[in-house]
Amino acid sequence: MSSYYTSILQGAVLTVGVSLAALLVSVILGLAGAGAKLSGRPILVALATLYTTIIRGIPELVLMLLVFYGGTIGLNNLLEAMGSEATVDINPFLAGVLTIGFIYGAYMTETFRGAILAIPKGQAEAAWAFGMGRTQTFLRITAPQMVRYALPGFTNNWLVLIKATALVSLIGLQEMTYLAKQASAATRSPFAYFLFTAALFLIYTTVSLFVLRRLNARYSLGTKRVQL
Amino acid sequence: MKKLLLAIAMGSLCAVSFAQGKDLKVAIDPTYEPFTFKTADGKPTGFDVDIASALCEQVKRKCVFVEQVWDSMIPGLQAKKYDVIISSMSITEDRLKVIDFTNKYYNTPSRVVVKKDVKFTGPASIKGKRIGVLKGSTQEKYAMGELKTAGVEVVPYEAQDQVYLDIKSGRLDGTVSDFVEVTGGFLSKPEGKDYNLVGPELYTEKYFGTGVGIGLRKGDAALKNELNAAIKAIRGNGTYKKINDKYFKFDVYGK
Repeated sequence: MSSYYTSILQGAVLTVGVSLAALLVSVILGLAGAGAKLSGRPILVALATLYTTIIRGIPELVLMLLVFYGGTIGLNNLLEAMGSEATVDINPFLAGVLTIGFIYGAYMTETFRGAILAIPKGQAEAAWAFGMGRTQTFLRITAPQMVRYALPGFTNNWLVLIKATALVSLIGLQEMTYLAKQASAATRSPFAYFLFTAALFLIYTTVSLFVLRRLNARYSLGTKRVQL
Repeated sequence: MKKLLLAIAMGSLCAVSFAQGKDLKVAIDPTYEPFTFKTADGKPTGFDVDIASALCEQVKRKCVFVEQVWDSMIPGLQAKKYDVIISSMSITEDRLKVIDFTNKYYNTPSRVVVKKDVKFTGPASIKGKRIGVLKGSTQEKYAMGELKTAGVEVVPYEAQDQVYLDIKSGRLDGTVSDFVEVTGGFLSKPEGKDYNLVGPELYTEKYFGTGVGIGLRKGDAALKNELNAAIKAIRGNGTYKKINDKYFKFDVYGK
């Protein structure tokens, strides 16, 4: 009986792994996307807009099936056409991380773009006046101030991303929701296992919120708190 | 050069496996007790799993079980994540459009269930009663075709356990359900103690199809023939019966 809980806990470790790795991918894509949108170069702007429009407009479930199964079927057909006997098996962990990262990169793009725009233009202009280059301006002036503006949106994206990991079971990863489903089917007592999984999710999100709040406090040093 | 680059790119992403002779990759969704489920220590088990192992032994290949969520069962087969689906998948016309099936390896009947004090002699004898069924199921097809026409009120539900909840709360008089499902999920429980199975075992092909088969990709004719022969062989040599008796008190192969 109790070892079903152990297996769900192992699934929880996978959930944490997938979500953190996907977060990293989405932040990189988000920064690149925001940079492209604000670059003012027509091709980059068009590409980034296409990315955010398409990804944010399609349900994650559909995208995941499309990317993973569509991709694998395509690759296998390609191999067959080349006359090979081999079949391809995409690593599900990597596929899950890349797919979720790719989807949430679109949301991060918008969050980061908004945050960069919220910084007064004079800041960057002052940096240029001091002779800083693009990279230096970004690292020393834009990025530290951007964090504060981006955190509220970032927090939302992160919480939704965590919950989206429940979908990766579709592509063959045994995360905790799927393991809970298996346990409840085997014992015919769904309530206990799903409640346990819900509690694990809640613990994970609460810890994240705590960390993010500390981060927010750190990056809000020297700014006035809004009085309502 | 391009091919080499492609190979390197794919090699970093995925494991390329060759269509080797021995392993038979079998997809299961272990959320359907007693047919496919997992023990507490994480091993797949159940009627489907045992049948699969017996069939593998028969065709002299090693079974490798791949766990797959039901919703992406067929896409996974098409993407060649595995070779066959042995997971209580009914042979239906819609599925036959995209994949192929072997002959059935089991076919459990459906049954009508009503309160013990109801005298059931045929559909007409429960005229005016409210019978709950699972939406989109074979049982719904049957109820619409045979019971509704006799004046029974048929109520479709999103899930079978909602049917049981509404029987408990008195909004329904009974259900039509798969025999194994209704015995395990309702009749054997306290809330089902006043209810019983009535009428004959229902097999009508028009409503219930031809049973549960092994799903495989279209065009895998050699494998299909091999597995059909293996099903016949384990039916003949007593292996099937041994597995059957481990889980059920009756022959699930059906008529």
